[in-house]
Amino acid sequence: MDYLTAVLLPQLLHGLVFGAALGLLSLGLTVVFGLLGVMNFAHGELFMMGAYAGIVVIALTHSFWVAMVAAPLMVGVLAAITEVATIRPIYRREPLYGLILTFGLALVFREGIRQIFGGDMRRILAPLPGSTPLLGMTYPNYRLFLLAISSAILLAIWLFFTKTRAGILVRAAVQDAEMLDGLGVNVSRLFTWTFAGAAALASLAGLLLAPVYTVYPQMGVEMILLAFIVVILGGMGSMGGSVVAAFIIGIAQSIFTLWMNPQRVAIAIFGIMIVVLIARPRGLFGREGVLE
Amino acid sequence: MKRVLGVSLILALVLVATGVVVVPAQAPKVVKIGDIGSKVGVFEGYGKYQSMMIQMAVEELNAKGGVLGHKIEVVVEDDETKPAPAVRKTEKLILQDDVKLVVGAVSSGATMAIMDVTKKHKTIHWNAVSCAEFMRTTKFHKYYFSNQPDSRMQANGLAKYIYDKMGKKVYIFYTDYAMGQSDGRQFKTALEQLGGEVVGVAGAPLDTKDFSPWFGAINQSNPDVLFLAFAGTDSLRLMTQLHSFGMTKKYKLAGIDCFLLQQDLAAIAEPMEGFVQLAHYSPYNPDANMQAFNAKFKKKFGVDGNIMAGAYDGVLFWAAAVEKAKSFDSDKVSEALEGMCMEGTHIGRQCIRKEDHQVIMDMHLYRVEKGKNVPIVTLSGKDTIGEPMVGKDPIAGFSWEIKKKN
Amino acid sequence: MSRVFGWRAAVVFAALALLPLSPFMSRYYLLLAFDALLFGAIAMSLDLLMGYTGLVSFGHAAFYGLGAYATAVLLERGVLSLWLCLAFAVVVVGIYALVVSYFSTARRGIYFALLTLIFAEVVYTFFRYTQAFGGSDGIQGLPDAQLWPGASIDTPVKKYYLVLGYLLIAYAICRVVVSSHFGRVLVAIRENEDRARFLGYDVQRYKMAACMISALLTGLGGAIYPVRSAFATPDLMVWTESGEFIISVMIGGIGTLVGPIIGGAFFTILRDKVSSYVDWYFIVIGAVLVLIVLFMPRGLLGLRGWRRPRRAAA
Repeated sequence: MDYLTAVLLPQLLHGLVFGAALGLLSLGLTVVFGLLGVMNFAHGELFMMGAYAGIVVIALTHSFWVAMVAAPLMVGVLAAITEVATIRPIYRREPLYGLILTFGLALVFREGIRQIFGGDMRRILAPLPGSTPLLGMTYPNYRLFLLAISSAILLAIWLFFTKTRAGILVRAAVQDAEMLDGLGVNVSRLFTWTFAGAAALASLAGLLLAPVYTVYPQMGVEMILLAFIVVILGGMGSMGGSVVAAFIIGIAQSIFTLWMNPQRVAIAIFGIMIVVLIARPRGLFGREGVLE
Repeated sequence: MKRVLGVSLILALVLVATGVVVVPAQAPKVVKIGDIGSKVGVFEGYGKYQSMMIQMAVEELNAKGGVLGHKIEVVVEDDETKPAPAVRKTEKLILQDDVKLVVGAVSSGATMAIMDVTKKHKTIHWNAVSCAEFMRTTKFHKYYFSNQPDSRMQANGLAKYIYDKMGKKVYIFYTDYAMGQSDGRQFKTALEQLGGEVVGVAGAPLDTKDFSPWFGAINQSNPDVLFLAFAGTDSLRLMTQLHSFGMTKKYKLAGIDCFLLQQDLAAIAEPMEGFVQLAHYSPYNPDANMQAFNAKFKKKFGVDGNIMAGAYDGVLFWAAAVEKAKSFDSDKVSEALEGMCMEGTHIGRQCIRKEDHQVIMDMHLYRVEKGKNVPIVTLSGKDTIGEPMVGKDPIAGFSWEIKKKN
Repeated sequence: MSRVFGWRAAVVFAALALLPLSPFMSRYYLLLAFDALLFGAIAMSLDLLMGYTGLVSFGHAAFYGLGAYATAVLLERGVLSLWLCLAFAVVVVGIYALVVSYFSTARRGIYFALLTLIFAEVVYTFFRYTQAFGGSDGIQGLPDAQLWPGASIDTPVKKYYLVLGYLLIAYAICRVVVSSHFGRVLVAIRENEDRARFLGYDVQRYKMAACMISALLTGLGGAIYPVRSAFATPDLMVWTESGEFIISVMIGGIGTLVGPIIGGAFFTILRDKVSSYVDWYFIVIGAVLVLIVLFMPRGLLGLRGWRRPRRAAA
């Protein structure tokens, strides 16, 4: 019983917290792939820039809450500009070009941030200090908040995609963009908005995770692989799938650290990914034919 | 084919433009020394202060005419805290810049890697901060010198105090690469020799972002004291997270010499309250020599000094040895350095032991009180330095096994 | 039908062979030249896969790193023969490449890129966290390799000639492959995989073969690296390193074999040399990459369109 409360349940909680934030990050990636056909290597950098945007906003306003609104806006605008300037031209090309181009964008963003802010680590203080006695240990309030707010946002997004006209439009477009064009929808503008929205989500995830992980230019590089894995596991283009997969990966990561050296956990996760890609490339909820 | 030529020409022009081929003009009678270390990343604080300390020493020396009539110039390189770039940059320093002294690196892994290079090319190598136990044992070579108390010295100093005054059951948490492993090993050995109990051991990779996966195990093993062997930004994160999980109040805390630079203490004063740390230098130590040095440093840079002061000493030692040997030749300088004593270092007088080129340095234990390191105990260098073990395996017979009592 | 070795290639190699005699080439520059030629050669073998077969590998750094570790492990234990190290590297990289290529070529599109990426990450993580291989510090302090007992490859000049020899052989192999029937099938697969299949070719077999050749050449290059550096570290295998190979191919000219050599050399010199003076060059590289994809997908040296069949060598 002691093991359960002292070790297992807290690990589960860690997994849920991380999985929620990972879900925010991966959702954008899968929508961009499903709709635009681009596997965005720069998605991790959007995540990272959210944290840095947060630093700037907090320096000016001393409010984490203002940053939560302002940072995604800032990154979203940057993303929209980027999409129009560099990504739009390559929609008609092979998807591999998208990989290489976004890899180049990631370099520009990462090194650009390093030049502006320096390579050293920055800290964003948790807006909710203190901890709560929970499960035999004292759990930081901020992490609980992180779980709550991420889940709330995911819920809001789900409502958006199922209950609003704009959301249903995007989902339809993910299925069949040409049909939308026939219906008179400005597909280009839809694509730009979607890309910006995905970027806003990613940047929000970056800001939310910043008080835990601290802020440094490489933070996107480390998250992007996990995000790819979540998207593949959930099914490329499946939004619900990526959220479910994010929680699965988050919890799996946490639980695996109990049984094996925490450093080897990544190998186990990659192993799962390889098995999925070989046996069922469409993932849990993906459409057939995307990768086959 | 024309296209190949054309493109190659353009690329070549680009390279020239970025200064690849340009050979910088040399002032007469200049000697160069190399400053290599982590200038960015997890250990950048140490790397930056290393540069400042070296700069201060060089300016003092140049004001008195340089060394052997040569003006000293410093070439600074960043090793990205990794062995591979460290080796490449050190090669460049030695082969291209023709430095006569290499100071560095910061990370023990990088320092050990460049020891191969300095050995091969016979260049005097001064280490001011890396503390793995291999540098003065299995990796030792005659051109290597150090005034950083290594992990064996630190463990000897800390273990007794912790055992006597803090608690008998210790959990060792270290950063899983050369330095941390070294500190963990030496401390476990020292503590168990005194009769203490190591209730658990764990290592987290360098640059870990989230340490909470390890906290469950720590809580479960129920220690009195947490011995922490981390450095740089890892320490900052770790302490913040330990504090947010309430563990800084639950356990007594102790850590190694390079755990946290005094400059960073202010940011996490609360989590660090009561932390016992070992160091050979602190701006809050009332010792006259340290105060004098700190005043000098503060006047120049506007901030307090820290343990990177060893780099300042290193340059002075090298210059004194060159003057004594009347030559830059590495063999002669090395001979001159062995057994040399010098005044005017950051702690006054230092002497280099002949056998393993290590300075016999006094250390102090400090307790953090309201964001300041307050000295509590002085440890004599002679007691902690241990036997010279050049060429011997310092970890022979060591085992990470936890021997649980009751 | 072009010959394997045009006279132009012969001139270039002769010039490279005479390079160490130039008074300008200090020991340091010779080592830099080593790095440049090695990187260029690996970029070239990647081009065999990317440019000719149309498969973008995001995991090439793993072949490179495995080769390096293979040599390092042997040198560490006192097996100094270069030939044994190379043979061992071929075996190790070969087994890994067999597994990766088999699974990665099973389906089409970005599947290959993703799988090679993840396989490479597994290898990287394994070596980074396994103390037996030195963990994150890798294997350090290796002795010099020998051609035969007594003939140590110890000076920068000897190391330079070693990599030049490797480049020569790799170039020859690539040329032979490209101008053979096998090479033309690869191009056909790149152009239209289904059509090639309908014509009766076992597409997966061809893709696997191309991947294996590219991987083995890269692995050999990796095996030579510790001879110069005296260490092998996990950083050789980070996925961003794979990205750098791809960048070299794109800059130099995809599908040209020679272009990537120049691209790789240029990139290496830029990275190692310029990083001492400025540290924002990566932004330029990223921007250049974006611009190349947008406006010049053929790269600086590319032929008139990646999608069209390649003509005889220029």
